[in-house]
Amino acid sequence: MSKPTRLFSIFSAILLAILLVSLFRLQVLRGKYYQQVAESNVLRIRRIFATRGEIYDNKYRPIVQNIPSHDLYLTTNKVVDIEALARFLFHHLGIENEELVEIVQKQRFKSYEEILIADNIEYESMLKISEYLDNFPELNFRIGSTREYLYPNHFSGYVGRINEEEYEKYRSEDYSLNGYIGKTGLERFYEVLLRGKDGKEIVQVDSRGRSLDLFSHEESYLEPLNGLSLVLTIDNDLQNFCEKAFPRHLRGALVVSDIRTGGILAYVSKPDYDPNIFMQRISPEAWKELNHKSKPMLDRVIHATYPPGSVFKPVTAGLGMEKKLVNRNTRFKSCGGGYQYGNRYFRCWLHSGHGRTNIIQALAQSCDVYFYDLSLKLPLDEFKDYAQRSGFYGKTGIDLPNERRGFFPDTQWYKENYGQNIQTSGHKINLSIGQGEILTSPIQMNAYFAALANNGVWIQPHLLKQTVGRSRLTAAEVQPLKSMKLPFSDSDLKLILEGLYATCNSKYGTAAVVQVPGAKTFGKTGSAENSMGKTTHAWFCGHIETDKPEIAVTVFMENAGGGGSIAAPVAKQVFDYYIGNIEDIKRTVAIPAQFRTAEDEEEEPQEEEEIVQPEEAEDEEDIIEIEEEEEEEQ
Amino acid sequence: MINRKKFDFVLLALLVLLIFLGCIAIYSASTTVVSGFKGTQNYWWRQIIFAVVALAGLTFVIWLPMPIFDVLILPAFIANIIALIAVLFTPSVSGAHRWFSIGGINFQPSESAKLLSILIIARNISREGLSDYRKILNGFSIMLIPIILIMLEPDFGTTIVFWVSLMAMLIAADVPVFYILLILSPAFSVVASVHWIGIVLWLLFLIGFLVMSRLSWVTITVAGIVNGFVSLVMPLFWMGLKDYQQNRILTFLDPTRDPLGAGYQIIQSKIAIGSGYLFGKGWLGGTQKNMNFLPEHHTDFIFSTIGEEFGFAGSIILLGVFVAFFARMIRASGELMVSERRVATSGIFAYLISQSFINIGMNIGLVPATGIPLPFISYGGSNLLFNTLSVAVVLKYMNERGFMK
Repeated sequence: MSKPTRLFSIFSAILLAILLVSLFRLQVLRGKYYQQVAESNVLRIRRIFATRGEIYDNKYRPIVQNIPSHDLYLTTNKVVDIEALARFLFHHLGIENEELVEIVQKQRFKSYEEILIADNIEYESMLKISEYLDNFPELNFRIGSTREYLYPNHFSGYVGRINEEEYEKYRSEDYSLNGYIGKTGLERFYEVLLRGKDGKEIVQVDSRGRSLDLFSHEESYLEPLNGLSLVLTIDNDLQNFCEKAFPRHLRGALVVSDIRTGGILAYVSKPDYDPNIFMQRISPEAWKELNHKSKPMLDRVIHATYPPGSVFKPVTAGLGMEKKLVNRNTRFKSCGGGYQYGNRYFRCWLHSGHGRTNIIQALAQSCDVYFYDLSLKLPLDEFKDYAQRSGFYGKTGIDLPNERRGFFPDTQWYKENYGQNIQTSGHKINLSIGQGEILTSPIQMNAYFAALANNGVWIQPHLLKQTVGRSRLTAAEVQPLKSMKLPFSDSDLKLILEGLYATCNSKYGTAAVVQVPGAKTFGKTGSAENSMGKTTHAWFCGHIETDKPEIAVTVFMENAGGGGSIAAPVAKQVFDYYIGNIEDIKRTVAIPAQFRTAEDEEEEPQEEEEIVQPEEAEDEEDIIEIEEEEEEEQ
Repeated sequence: MINRKKFDFVLLALLVLLIFLGCIAIYSASTTVVSGFKGTQNYWWRQIIFAVVALAGLTFVIWLPMPIFDVLILPAFIANIIALIAVLFTPSVSGAHRWFSIGGINFQPSESAKLLSILIIARNISREGLSDYRKILNGFSIMLIPIILIMLEPDFGTTIVFWVSLMAMLIAADVPVFYILLILSPAFSVVASVHWIGIVLWLLFLIGFLVMSRLSWVTITVAGIVNGFVSLVMPLFWMGLKDYQQNRILTFLDPTRDPLGAGYQIIQSKIAIGSGYLFGKGWLGGTQKNMNFLPEHHTDFIFSTIGEEFGFAGSIILLGVFVAFFARMIRASGELMVSERRVATSGIFAYLISQSFINIGMNIGLVPATGIPLPFISYGGSNLLFNTLSVAVVLKYMNERGFMK
């Protein structure tokens, strides 16, 4: 035997001896002990669910809250008679046999763990089921927590049991198959903030309660970190008023936003649905209602896009000004109720015609011919570029999932869809008054009109104001808000605003109903022809100023009629309500006691000490909080 | 192709036996019986497909004419290094970049890197007229390339195996054993630095040993300084670590400190193996596997299923097959006269035996959990393929050895 071979043999023999001795000790000497441990089946990890963050309006009034629920759990390895169990569950809870088999199959590698088979069971059926629980040792009730949505709305979204697909997708994020996940709306968008982090506890006592002492250290408990609660920019009073102000029988959207911050104060989409119905097994009737042809599930504020009609005219006018084609005194052809271009005749909405108008009158009276004429001087691709710079092509970036893009066609698009030889002038005429292929969503319109009022600064619309709970983050800390300057010079912007003011306040203005004593109103109406029906979509977009700009309101109604006659009166109600209750709506509310952190209570010198010694990550969060508070105090 | 007089049929038979035992264990590990429902995940038949592919690969390697085989090693190694670089740019899977995923098949380039690095180093350090010093230097320099790339993935467990096989290859290349000990001495110093008595004893032993080995004074001085430095700096380094960093290292060494994470699995594995007692609970009769091992109990913790279902007797039989297998490989390394092939065989032997020891040791709570699978037994395609191919290389060398012996 050569020297290396001998060394290898000795080496292998040592390793073998180590393994043999260890295995002997483990399996023979201590085998009986481990058999007992194995039979008592008590060593396992129990998950302690973190409490999901709640959602509040800007005055800390609840919109979504947690309420206790009765949940039924199944432990698959304790099942005695699966057929009896299947009959029982079907009878009381309507769980089909296949569903049960699937649950058992899915759980096969964790048969000692409980799995949630029915959540949020009504009190009466819980009592009924409880009577029979002695026969089914595999079933037991636990008190869990479910969501309560305080009013029907489209922005909160709802949570649901995590499904297989989501479980696979978020595998690394420690979801439990018994857990919930945000499915739509804010619940989905801010899932990461709301969810928190589940805790864990290791159970290691045998059936007689003796500690098994398998772990040498006591760190067998990991506390859950509760989710952050969201404080929204929504104002429940205003939201509630807008809900009621929107005519019951109509479909559409109503958005109110704070001009200076971009925060949404009211967010209404009609018809609506109650998110609470997703918190229990959905009955077939409820399901039918959700799928009604009026589409109550559709969020018309961001998930749908529509032709804007005349509310788009400020954009056309803006490009005309940027290209120096329009100034205060520019007048085009006289409007005699229509415009002849080639062999086509484009009508103005007013058959009798508006005569020769300047830009302010054209906006106030919504003269189509003025814009037809202007559009012929605008290159299509610049028009698209300008619409994009005004926030109409693409998404606004509101903090809700699945926002729909706006659309504006360009030459390329027409060539692809209508052939290479397309003449775009006729289309341009249509686009100039917000008709044709252009599509916008109510939220885009609202952001644009808010920007007009805000010195031309466009701010990304958003619902989150700040978080409360473990850490206090402002919306900007969670996600930086985009903002941009609309392509207007100061004088051009002033001209547009004059036009919008005249719309509401001049004798011939299309929105002359929208006048509020003690405040200045601005706006633009629109009656958009569309492919969905004969009646036009009614639009009103505008804002109100006291000594400074206050709120921007967008009213949109599907196939409801004229913007001036149908949409504008609703906006007036909202403006009236706002001015009437302005003190109350703008009042700032002190942070409620349950959200105060220890630092809030402490006195200032101590806070300064903490700033001097920023050692750990946690302290850094504290500093951010302190700084915010200082700003608030100022 | 196969030379009946030289071909090691016993080694091949033991290899096939191990793979077969693996399939049996995987079938059980991926099957659960719950109140009349028997559910089997598709792992076991996939493993059978992997086994067929691996054996086909083995046949191919043996069939390949030796000159072509020799020529292919270098380009294959270079390609493998490129793959190791490329894999760092793949999307991360639970925090690591280890796998190429092509059409549902995952390929881990660090698996093939073990075999190819061994072959390349064997060729390099067994050249004629190379001083011991050059052998060590060359071996280290080449080995560092894959090791650094694999550390970047990051995958520290795998790199231990590289070091062990490098040591074995140096020994097989007739580098004196005390050089190897000298290389390893800083590692011993780290261990000894736990206590000051340990440091003193270790340094005295080391210097005595070096003097006895009649090494030059330069070597002794350098080794003394390096080891003294390491043993003195280690405690300072340890004290300089933050609490959580110390905890992380302590948890690695003693997983029961972390009952909610790594410790839970190790304890579960110990309960499973221990409760197997003398003769086990019978095939498919394991109860502990139904607990929370997923997804490791058919890969890294497969031995716990074997220990539970076949008891001490089963563990002994499996160890016996492994012992016979490794004895056969040691014999092969003794019989090969071409130095390059002998060195390569030693490296392959070391790489397989160290993985087996670390994996079983991990299952019974003896060594820290490092994510190293049990060769031929654990579920996993690229792992099985390259382990089998490395045995194929040994079989090939044996088959084509000269008549000198």
